[in-house]
Amino acid sequence: MSGFLELKKVKRTGLWPAVFGGGILAALVPIINTAVRKEVFLQMEGSALAILMNENWQMMAMLNLLFVAASACLLYHTEYGDNAIQRMNTLPQRESKMFFDKFFLLSAFCLIMFTIEGAGLAFSAVHCFPGDGKILRDAAINMGYAFVLILPGVLFMLLISAACKNMWISLGIGVICVFTATMLPGDNFALSLFPFALPFHIIPGAKVLAEKYMIALGGEMVLGILAAITFFKVRRLFA
Amino acid sequence: MSFISLLGVELKKIRRSGIFIILFAAAVFMWLPAIFHGDVNFKTQAEIGITPEHNFLIQGFMGLAWFMFPACMVVCTVLICQTERGNHGILKMLALPLNTGKLCLAKFAVLLALGMCFLLFSTVIYFVSAAIVSKTQSYDFMLSPVFVLKEAGLIFLTSIPMMAFFWLLSVCIRTPIFAMGAGFASIVPSVLMINTKFWFAYPMAYPFFAVTNEYAKLAERMAPNSIDYVLWGSIALSVTLICIFVSCFCFGQGERR
Repeated sequence: MSGFLELKKVKRTGLWPAVFGGGILAALVPIINTAVRKEVFLQMEGSALAILMNENWQMMAMLNLLFVAASACLLYHTEYGDNAIQRMNTLPQRESKMFFDKFFLLSAFCLIMFTIEGAGLAFSAVHCFPGDGKILRDAAINMGYAFVLILPGVLFMLLISAACKNMWISLGIGVICVFTATMLPGDNFALSLFPFALPFHIIPGAKVLAEKYMIALGGEMVLGILAAITFFKVRRLFA
Repeated sequence: MSFISLLGVELKKIRRSGIFIILFAAAVFMWLPAIFHGDVNFKTQAEIGITPEHNFLIQGFMGLAWFMFPACMVVCTVLICQTERGNHGILKMLALPLNTGKLCLAKFAVLLALGMCFLLFSTVIYFVSAAIVSKTQSYDFMLSPVFVLKEAGLIFLTSIPMMAFFWLLSVCIRTPIFAMGAGFASIVPSVLMINTKFWFAYPMAYPFFAVTNEYAKLAERMAPNSIDYVLWGSIALSVTLICIFVSCFCFGQGERR
């Protein structure tokens, strides 16, 4: 029941238009890029999606991450803003339950965004490389991979926003994390596992096998979930 | 109430916000990768003919001007607006016999002060990291403070239109997610904009463009862009004035309905 409650809470926050706006904006990146530089793309080797992802994903991933940072801050700002969290805490319900509800909600938002972005990629791929028959399948695989890779970032960003009462503090930490992720070298496997650096990876260019990333990602998720549960328990003790 | 005393009040309001910790952490995290990759500065000398110490400074400032500084300014606008909206503090301010335009200007001045503060932090951390890299690479990376402050000042000056635009966004867009989102979304394309002929029409690209141009000036084998200063200056000035005027006009309108 409380899962739908979280959905109702975002009604007047403007998160719904932001999801579609962000998704369309990110989907416009490959479309504009192909419109301007079609000749350059046609000369490159590889499948249609591989070329498009290589050329556009950096910027799209950045937009996705900034969306996750801003909306995670906002999801908790609705609680902290007018002390609504105190009412939530008096309910017979764990605080971590609300956290995971918010996590599922934000993941669903990300899924919507990736669907729009996948459509944008497929559109420009069809436009640029009409002969390639596997475009839709490739787009679905790439976006599915991107969705899984952004999950640890969503989890940790929500944890940061839950920990900081003021929205600007959590947003500031989010911005620092996103910037650090863009600065990390891509060839170092251990550093590329930083939750905010993961969404910048793509299947075609990955030097390490995708399975290896999946195992590491599963570990990060378990770690994040355990951290969230302990954090809320400990904060309750000292509140 | 005079402008100076209003400014003092506004500065007092952000005292306990913890924003300085965030800005300081941002400055530290910005220079950390540069410290770890101190050796790459020697490669660029052969490629484009820039001395390692200049490359170290300008590469760091490029990261600052491209993303970190604009993003931190968006965070600061969120801070300045949200501290007031929490518990409806802004209603009490608007109930006072004050000129709201003046109040808005004072808040914008606080934003400028925060930006200056962030650049100061980055400059100080630059000297610390340059000292560290000088030790690890056994090469003197220190530049004269006058030169470094000049570059930081250039970033500040060129980013005033951008800050005015962000301020306009946060005043006129009442839903915080749109103000933040519009700010962030406008930062990302500035990389593309500086390579087009119309970069001067996009205030968010000014600081990055200015730093990139400085880089080209210092490198022997790169040609700096020829800039039409009159055109750029007039557009920048009009953008700044329009943004400040509209935000002063709109300030508090939503609350006074």
